[in-house]
Amino acid sequence: MSISTFVGIQTSLRGLLAQQRALDVTSHNIANASTVGYTRQEVNLAATQPLNVNAGGMANGGMLGTGVDVQSYRRVRDQFLDLQYRAQNMQLGDQTARSDALQNVELSFAEPGDSGIQNALDEFFGSWSDLSNSASSGAAKQAVIDKSRTLAQQINDLQGNLASARQAATDEYTQTAGAGGQINQMASDLSTTLNAIRSAEMTGSQPNDLYDRRDLLLDQLSTMGQVSMTPSAGGSFDVSLGGVTIVDADDTTGMASVPAGAFPLSYTTSPGGKLGALLDLQSSTGPIASFQTELAAVAQSLATSVNSVYNAATGTDFFTFGTGANGLPQISLNEPTVSVTTLAAGTSGPADNSVALAVSRLQGGDADARYKQLVTRMGNAVSTAGRQQANAQVLADNVKDRRDSVSGVSLDEEMTNIIRFQRAYQASARAMSTTDEMLDTLINRAGRVGL
Amino acid sequence: MSTRITSSMTTRSVLSDLNRIAAQQDLTRRQMSSGKAITKPSDDPYGAARAMSLRTDLAGVKQHQRNVDEAQSWMSATSTTLSSITDLAQKARELTVQGATDTLSQSGRDAIADQIDQLIAGMKQEGNATYDGRYVLGGSRTNTPPFDSALTKTDPSVTTNDAYSGDAASQLREIGPGVTLAVNVHGDEVLGGASGSTGNLLGVLRDVATHLRSGDTSALGNGDIKAVSDQIDNLLAVQARVGAGMNRLDTASSRLAQIEESTTSMLSNTEDADMAEVITNYSTQQAVYQSALNAGARIVQTSLLDFLH
Repeated sequence: MSISTFVGIQTSLRGLLAQQRALDVTSHNIANASTVGYTRQEVNLAATQPLNVNAGGMANGGMLGTGVDVQSYRRVRDQFLDLQYRAQNMQLGDQTARSDALQNVELSFAEPGDSGIQNALDEFFGSWSDLSNSASSGAAKQAVIDKSRTLAQQINDLQGNLASARQAATDEYTQTAGAGGQINQMASDLSTTLNAIRSAEMTGSQPNDLYDRRDLLLDQLSTMGQVSMTPSAGGSFDVSLGGVTIVDADDTTGMASVPAGAFPLSYTTSPGGKLGALLDLQSSTGPIASFQTELAAVAQSLATSVNSVYNAATGTDFFTFGTGANGLPQISLNEPTVSVTTLAAGTSGPADNSVALAVSRLQGGDADARYKQLVTRMGNAVSTAGRQQANAQVLADNVKDRRDSVSGVSLDEEMTNIIRFQRAYQASARAMSTTDEMLDTLINRAGRVGL
Repeated sequence: MSTRITSSMTTRSVLSDLNRIAAQQDLTRRQMSSGKAITKPSDDPYGAARAMSLRTDLAGVKQHQRNVDEAQSWMSATSTTLSSITDLAQKARELTVQGATDTLSQSGRDAIADQIDQLIAGMKQEGNATYDGRYVLGGSRTNTPPFDSALTKTDPSVTTNDAYSGDAASQLREIGPGVTLAVNVHGDEVLGGASGSTGNLLGVLRDVATHLRSGDTSALGNGDIKAVSDQIDNLLAVQARVGAGMNRLDTASSRLAQIEESTTSMLSNTEDADMAEVITNYSTQQAVYQSALNAGARIVQTSLLDFLH
């Protein structure tokens, strides 16, 4: 088969166009170098269909290349690293929420120091000891009353602070996972994006930037809980968070939407991630609730031990322990039964200090020991949460680095590519002008011998 | 293929390194400004619990120290009272010896008997001594005078009720964990005791006055001088007991001071920061931070772009 005289020009043109596309993609990569969730793209070039030409004395004995064409615009991404990243990011979301909440709890203990419950306990027992020194002194009795009130108040305040910490976790969960909340918003965005991807794919194109948008939303969701995307029969994807479907694609039309009634999200098993941590923090079996139980045990032990001494001598309780108006365990001075006028340091005679001595000897007893255990356990929980958060951060950063190593934009690389594509463009143009000059020789100068 | 290092990786690692060093610096700065190695239980949960125990111990030691101080004041008030009573008793003994002399006229003996009545009134007044508004010799009845010391100017002997109206309760002060000391002396141990008892000084002196007025010098010479001397011996014995108690308090006080010192230093070892170490750490961290900033600034800025034309 004979070939056209102008094949060379056509070949050069293909080269020019392909290098121009490659440069366009490079520009796109550079422009998006700092776009969150952007995946670098690559032009996939391939040689075009060759022409069969005569060669070696045979018809169609050889093939003549006809240049280059853009096969596809590839999105450089490793799906396996995405899965790893999301698993790690879920851990990070869990540990961060946990560590933040527990650090707040730790602050409300104000230990070790002069404003914590330990100090109030020490001062409480100290005031009884002072009373034992001057059993009939009104000032010493007033001090016992005041220190008892302060101690009870501080224990009740801490109990209230712990309850608020659980309430804060509940509120944050509602804001995040409630109807119209953050996750609901992300699920709507995700379904819109999935639908846009599907319509683009139906026309045969490859919507790389929409894929980036989808993957970014999935990354963000993975902080909240265990996220998974499964293909659906209609050609799109279903997305679930912690096992609950938040985006559902229709099995026949493939149209994705947020299922009615999915929000507020509710779980029977932990969804993992931030939601899992918040559910655990607010739960009545969670870490904060266990601090509350232990603090109530401290208060009860204090009330019981002081009462057993005080009641045996006077017939009335010194502390009352029960459930307060706010529904929380509450310890309070048994007022008005116990007051400056009725407070007894002893039973016989104004200088009898037997009761005051017996109460002051309770210092360092069960209530003290329980409180110290509580603080130690709380401190351990906070430092463990902090350590795990730091570990999760390092691991998440590592996977993110590996993913960025594959998908991120390297400006040095793009600059090198610019030079490569520019040079190839220039060379194609040179090839074209060379062919042009050859044709000039043929068309304008051939057959003009002697003119 | 070797690992591609992309712009976002560089930026992120520079930022996270800077953050980490800044967080360490913040911790060190907190230790420097507070002087404490443990400011939150999570800094060192076991150390924090130990610090809390030591603080309780320290509060207990200080409380016992206060109790000892209070007991010392009480006992020294008691001791002062007892020496005053002893002085008065010595005086009474001299008068008794003087009254037992046969050469003295009856009017002289009557005058001595009046003086003895005065001394009795004085002793009862001493017996009603108070410390911090409380009657020290009253047992547990510290708010009522243990002796009836109502006097009239014209006739000090008008009050003849010498009975002790306090009780025999001990006043205990806790001077160490579980260690108590009775700090009080009961009035009837030295004055106003039952007839025939060692504490019957007032009764003995009343007898002396009666014998003086009746001129019974043989009773004065044979029994009374010895009875008064016995009462003085009893007073001195009680005073010795109080003195021993005060010695015990001194010992307890210096032992408590030692415990306080060692507990304070243990607390300091547990929760205070080692300043030399902290300051050294801070300088090291500052140097690291500066070099990280320097390296970061260079790495982030440089690009192939700088070298292309």
